[in-house]
Amino acid sequence: MRILIADDELMSRRLLEKTMQRAGYEVTAVANGQLAAAELCKPEGPRLALLDWIMPELDGPGVCREVRKRKDHSYVYMILLTSKEKKEDVVAGLESGADDYLTKPFDPEELKARLRTGARILDLEDRLIEAREEMRFQATHDALTSLWNRGVVMELLGRELTRARRENKCTAILLGDLDHFKNINDTYGHLAGDEVLKETARRLVSSVRSYDFVGRFGGEEFLVTLNNCDPAFGFARAEKIRKTIAERPVETSAGSVSVSMSFGLLLSQEWGYMSVVELLHEVDTALYAAKAAGRNCVKLAAARAQVDGARELTPETVWRRQ
Amino acid sequence: MAKNLIDFDELLERTENDKELMRDLLTIFREEFPQRLQALREAVESLNATNVAMEAHALKGMLSNLAAVEAAAAVAELERLGRTNETSRFLESFSHFDVIAKELLRQVEASMAGVSG
Repeated sequence: MRILIADDELMSRRLLEKTMQRAGYEVTAVANGQLAAAELCKPEGPRLALLDWIMPELDGPGVCREVRKRKDHSYVYMILLTSKEKKEDVVAGLESGADDYLTKPFDPEELKARLRTGARILDLEDRLIEAREEMRFQATHDALTSLWNRGVVMELLGRELTRARRENKCTAILLGDLDHFKNINDTYGHLAGDEVLKETARRLVSSVRSYDFVGRFGGEEFLVTLNNCDPAFGFARAEKIRKTIAERPVETSAGSVSVSMSFGLLLSQEWGYMSVVELLHEVDTALYAAKAAGRNCVKLAAARAQVDGARELTPETVWRRQ
Repeated sequence: MAKNLIDFDELLERTENDKELMRDLLTIFREEFPQRLQALREAVESLNATNVAMEAHALKGMLSNLAAVEAAAAVAELERLGRTNETSRFLESFSHFDVIAKELLRQVEASMAGVSG
């Protein structure tokens, strides 16, 4: 574990450095408070610190205050080293944000024991962050495919559309639906069906750029947004994704399964100021057209004036597909 | 024979029986202490209470690390006088510390040869 030692007095610094190295710490040693604060405030800076109280440039409590100002970084456990033993001094030190203090000259065993306390607290923080991140992941991702879930991908789409309108750029919205997925489940079983969904998700992610979004929209439906997409190439990119899905069967535990996907495509620039829900309705209509055209193809959502017929479809008709 | 001003048992314990580190500390002390002592002397002679407190504090840290308890206590008194601005007692207190400091330096020089790496 890395530790920062800040002490302007060379003998103290040398003694601390050697004691900490012997205890297995990776040591960074500095001679004043400003350098200490700079090291500790680095994003990947040490998370344990031994700070002399009285130092040039910035004293130990001053370093603690600087470090505690940062709210979005990992916790730094700081111990003040001091010859001050008066109660008011100790209170002032701890109120500056120090976690502990140790009177100089220090006993090596006591120092190491106190640092182990600090390491336990940092470990606890790490585990809490890990648990929080796990919960955040579960709340935002689909459990089977690890893609963004429906709520998140719609939110991301909304933000992207706002940005695209502001910058006069185009977002391509692709709604894909695995063809004959019910048959896959019926023929190969639900376990194999899940494997197909996972592999489809992997193929979708691998076929887009890092700043595009892919989410699981419903059972076998996936929503892809191609951000900042040149409208002239929107259809070609959608076709490429479709081919990536269908280019080879998915190897499942129940055997090799041929897959294909039908896509509705919408280029946001052609649609003006419409809500996410309205746009999704349009792209869903295009997806329905792709299904009706024999599946395993991409259909572009035509501009509003040209799709009056399609818009007359009832919601039941639009959503009931195989 | 003058009494030993450094508690070598304590120093060895503090360095976890690392004789090389102990020698390092003695070397640093031998190089730094005279300069710090001179800075304290100048602060005392100019009756600059702030600097007396500051320099005495630094020396106290060095001496504590060296397990030189008597010298550390003598310079701690000077630090206290500096903080309370008792300038009239600076010279008397410094003279007392100076005697201890000179003997301490002599003992450090003598012990350097005795501490093998």
